[in-house]
Amino acid sequence: MEILVLSNSLHTYLVIGALLFGIGFYGLVQRQTFIGMLISAELILSGASLNFMAFNRFLAPDPTVGQVFTLFIMAIAAAECAIALSIIIAVYRNYKSIDTEDVVDLQG
Amino acid sequence: MKLMLFAPELFLLLGSLVLFLLSTGKVGGKTARAVTLTLALGSVLVCFACLRQEGTLFFEAYRIDFFSQLIKLVIALGFAVVLLFSTELKGVDDEIRPEYYLFLTLSTLGLLMLVSSVELLTMLIALELSSYSLYLLVPMRDDRTGVRMQMESAIKYILFGVVATGVMLFGMSYLFGLTGTTYLVDLLPRLHQMMGSPAALIAIAMVLGGFFFKLAVFPFHSWVPDVYQGASNETTAFIASVPKVAAVAMLIRLTALATPEGQAIVTMLIILSVCSMFYGNLVALVQTDMKRMLGFSGIAHAGYVLLGLVTMQEVGYAASLYYIAGYLVMNLAAFLVICKVSEHGENLAVDDLSGLHKRAPLLALTLAVSMFAMAGIPPFVGFMGKFMLLTGAYKAGHLPLVILAAINTAISIYYYLSVVRVTYSASPEDRPAVLVGGVSKMVSVALVLVIIAMGLLPDQLLELATEAVRAIL
Repeated sequence: MEILVLSNSLHTYLVIGALLFGIGFYGLVQRQTFIGMLISAELILSGASLNFMAFNRFLAPDPTVGQVFTLFIMAIAAAECAIALSIIIAVYRNYKSIDTEDVVDLQG
Repeated sequence: MKLMLFAPELFLLLGSLVLFLLSTGKVGGKTARAVTLTLALGSVLVCFACLRQEGTLFFEAYRIDFFSQLIKLVIALGFAVVLLFSTELKGVDDEIRPEYYLFLTLSTLGLLMLVSSVELLTMLIALELSSYSLYLLVPMRDDRTGVRMQMESAIKYILFGVVATGVMLFGMSYLFGLTGTTYLVDLLPRLHQMMGSPAALIAIAMVLGGFFFKLAVFPFHSWVPDVYQGASNETTAFIASVPKVAAVAMLIRLTALATPEGQAIVTMLIILSVCSMFYGNLVALVQTDMKRMLGFSGIAHAGYVLLGLVTMQEVGYAASLYYIAGYLVMNLAAFLVICKVSEHGENLAVDDLSGLHKRAPLLALTLAVSMFAMAGIPPFVGFMGKFMLLTGAYKAGHLPLVILAAINTAISIYYYLSVVRVTYSASPEDRPAVLVGGVSKMVSVALVLVIIAMGLLPDQLLELATEAVRAIL
């Protein structure tokens, strides 16, 4: 029976949000291609969105603020994705690869 | 007059619309530059005219006070100076210059909006507006000459940037969860009640992270050297100076959230400051590329600026503001020289400056003054700024921090002065003379005079900065 109550508890969502954040971070470090890193970055943003929705549902006095925030995060993530993809195309044109191991002209 | 409150932003917004229309047609870089320059100079005037405005807009999400207006004026000035000296824009293809100027203007617009926002969502939108434009400016460097590293630096810049945004958003979500509001005014009292709880501290630290990225403070610094090296000289001049002013302004607004009992935040700021200073200065010692060196020196300067924030007092905040304004001027002077000496927009090694005093005496003098100022040698602004920051931190009881900062100043003198040595005592060999236009000459003289004047007359400026800080505390 406990599994049914889980969906109605703030902690569940916070843990999932933190997990998404952690997985995204891990992916950014581990992934070998820029697209993979971009997907991991999106996971971080969705972790934050989930947090906002959870707090909004369980704690917030005004239940619209969190939703509006989440909508804006989605829009920002989409814009960021478009820019990142266009830059990845530019990288591919110059390096003929989007592998992090091939794109290493700079040492930073 | 609500319109006057929003006038600087509105002016740049309309201007960027004009630039957008220009970029859809077949307009060359010359026209676009003339329009943008007019815009930049106009926005300086508008910012100046609106200096004493006060009020709130957009359901109180947007606050206009002396603090925001003063920073806006500084940002507009920085924007205008960058445009004034990037006459040829050597590193960018003529066809895409209208877009280049469009994004430059949008980025400035984002920074202007950022310093006025007092609500988390507004802050996020303004910050992203300015960041996304910057991400796009980096890969606009011409790749037909065989230079391809700008693409690599752009992808690194945006990926690090997204992580910083993600961290900041995560922190914002906790702030929202803890307090149930996104307005800084309401956040403040509610946070004070739970200042001891780790969740509140982590939330503030994460939100600060987004601005540490902009300012290039230690754990968020790794984009700096690569982006500086990869972006064209003029782009780097902008990225290296103008956004940092806005970042410091926002850091001050947010650290005020933790005032006065945020001991954990103070400890964190101290650690980050020390790490930034040592890392930046030690790595800068071995750099041969001029822009890379300035990048690492920028990380070190970000560490110095944090010295003002750790005091958590209005004197310290004012000193930080004064220092970052001074850094803007010193940095712009250094980049002016780099942009002019670089013949076709290529990167400069420190050795390329050999014998500059014979090839272009005025540029050599500008560079020397800028380097002396950054090294913190009197009577220039860098010295006065560091002096204020160090005395502020000392009075607040952070003696070890002051000693470490002083050691760092000593380390940094080595690499700044070796640049001056190359410009003045190495022989030019067969390097050609540098041609400098009339406007650039005037700008470089003006920058040198401002560096000296800010160093000699810190009182009035500090008073202004203190008044500004008082407006937000």
